[in-house]
Amino acid sequence: MARKTAKTLPGTLADKRAKAGGKTGPKTQVKTGHKTRKGDDPSHYPLLGRALLGIDTPKSANVIFWGLAALCVVLFLLDFTYDKHGHFEVEHIPGFYGIYGYVMFTGLILVAKALRVLIKRPEDFYGDKAVDSEAYPEDQLARIKNDG
Amino acid sequence: MVETLPTAFLFIVAALVLLAIPQGKARGVLLLAVPLLAAWQVWSLPMGTFQQVNFFGFTLDLMRVDKLSRVFGLIFCLAAFLGNLYAWHVRDTIQQVAALLYAGAAIGAVFAGDLITLFFYWEGTAIASVFLIWARRTEGAYHTGMRYLIIQIASGVILLAGSAFLYRETGSIAFERMTLGSLGTWLIFLSFGIKCAFPLLHNWLQDSYPAATVTGTVILSAFTTKLAVYALARGFAGTEILIYIGAVMTLFPIFFAEIENDLRRVLAYSLNNQLGFMVVGIGVGTEMALNGTASHAFAHILYKALLFMSVGAVLFRTGTSKASELGGLYRTMPRTAMFCLVGAASISAFPLFSGFVTKSLILDETAAAHYPIIWGALVFASAGVLSHSGIKIPYFTFFAHDSGLRPKEAPIHMQLAMGLTAFLCIFIGVYPDPLYALLPYPVEFHPYTMGHVVGQLQLLCFALLAFGVLMRTGIHPPEIRAVNLDTDVVYRWFLPRVIAVVGGWIARVWTANLDLLSKSVMGVWSGLNRTHGPEGKLAKNWPTGSMVLWLAVFLGIALIVDFAS
Repeated sequence: MARKTAKTLPGTLADKRAKAGGKTGPKTQVKTGHKTRKGDDPSHYPLLGRALLGIDTPKSANVIFWGLAALCVVLFLLDFTYDKHGHFEVEHIPGFYGIYGYVMFTGLILVAKALRVLIKRPEDFYGDKAVDSEAYPEDQLARIKNDG
Repeated sequence: MVETLPTAFLFIVAALVLLAIPQGKARGVLLLAVPLLAAWQVWSLPMGTFQQVNFFGFTLDLMRVDKLSRVFGLIFCLAAFLGNLYAWHVRDTIQQVAALLYAGAAIGAVFAGDLITLFFYWEGTAIASVFLIWARRTEGAYHTGMRYLIIQIASGVILLAGSAFLYRETGSIAFERMTLGSLGTWLIFLSFGIKCAFPLLHNWLQDSYPAATVTGTVILSAFTTKLAVYALARGFAGTEILIYIGAVMTLFPIFFAEIENDLRRVLAYSLNNQLGFMVVGIGVGTEMALNGTASHAFAHILYKALLFMSVGAVLFRTGTSKASELGGLYRTMPRTAMFCLVGAASISAFPLFSGFVTKSLILDETAAAHYPIIWGALVFASAGVLSHSGIKIPYFTFFAHDSGLRPKEAPIHMQLAMGLTAFLCIFIGVYPDPLYALLPYPVEFHPYTMGHVVGQLQLLCFALLAFGVLMRTGIHPPEIRAVNLDTDVVYRWFLPRVIAVVGGWIARVWTANLDLLSKSVMGVWSGLNRTHGPEGKLAKNWPTGSMVLWLAVFLGIALIVDFAS
């Protein structure tokens, strides 16, 4: 389920990284996963991180998606196996919660997407004296690289 | 023995003691010990009212302990402990003192038995907490802090005004259940509503929480809004308008959260949405609904803190909390990712996680009270929670596309704080009985019925499937660098511009008037100057004698007038 990568904007972290280290920014990231990055050594990752690498492939994303679909079918069928004691009539429709969840979730995303058209503004909309357009003070951070 | 000192004073005394201890581990130990000591005190206190003091003829009840105040007192102590553990590395006296005083004030307000004590602590939370924002020490944080402070202080002033009106009406300052109707009760309601982030009064929350320090936001997330929930539960339980206000609160933030880029602001919207569930519970007002509100506040403080902690840890290690800049961090921050997932599952109310055993109480009571539309809205909002807090936060931070960032795992104390909080989230979900036993009223509720579990899993899994479909089809909106307008645009952008324009007009009119005036004055002046000035005609014969003559004439006239009258 790799999503479309955001464009590397000037001044962003990804842009700075690309300039500083010559490393590939998100723009060049391809769906094949972690090992495409130059100079990236998974053997330095924590054990749990390495274990999780296995599921971060397009193939396992597919497995997860279809597994989820299968789970949904099972949950739908489960509705026929017990007596429902809902407060409202609609709750007795088989798969009511599933259908409601699917439809409303999709509706939410579509409405939010439309809302973005109306209310989206540049990051410096409130000027340069707003937290959105200023960097977090470096002295309060401990930016350490994994193998650093 | 335990009754000798109000719990809030423990924190205030500790804040003073802290200043005497040099910066370092000893301070950290004190910051952890005080909430534990306070929790022990709250736990040991018998029910009743203690610490009554006289104040200008009023009797103030500093410690009113009952089951409602106790459960909020305990979770506040726990939140202070976890927040301070997370902030173990902080060597900033301002933040340390602010965290103690803020927690103390919130706990003091919870145990306040009268409106005057409540007012003092209410303002105390405002003043102490703003330093957690200012401690970021940037100009943006300074301005945000000022906006936050103005709104919070205004809430307190309105509370005081409402209390004064109520006192004139009833002759009592006791903080008990009220009925909306008089000016006094409406003002108090408004004051609680501001702090509880009611729709249109909400934007201070999303404005300020992302502006605080890494650890400050974690601490901020626990107290102010839940104090307001407590105050509403105490003062306005069963007020029907709260059902509708709460339902709107659950709905509108989910749209904003979906398209927000700053993940700490996403969590602030999500917090707002969760408050909505609690407010609906208060509006329904039955014993079980109030149990639902209290338990949901308890669980919510933990999983919300956990989510803020995990995003905070990412900010601490990468310098950003913006979704557009993050992704793929599970590689090197896998534990933080796991803790975040626990928080996400808890807030989404997956069975076996804390949100499930508390939110279903509110949903069930809303349905039992026959509010079908409100119930439908709450179920929709539950799917919305999954969307931004369940999926967006963990997925776009730790998974999704690889940002190329390879930060080190969070410091050990942060992991410990997150681990403990995650444990509590799962513990409450798996074994809710101890939490249920803490609630204000006896609990007759079984969350793990077939209907509850299957229904909730259906809702969540089908919503997840919808997410999968939207991602695969490319319909899901990408994370982009932008800000979104909310009501704060009125006072951050629109009003300043209106004032600038109107101010410009006023300045123009003023200058024009001034010009006109100065021209006419100058005209008179130059006219006089022409005749009486040094170069004027009259100056030609200007001996001192003529002045004496004129003086004599005026004196004469004055004498005649005086004599004649």
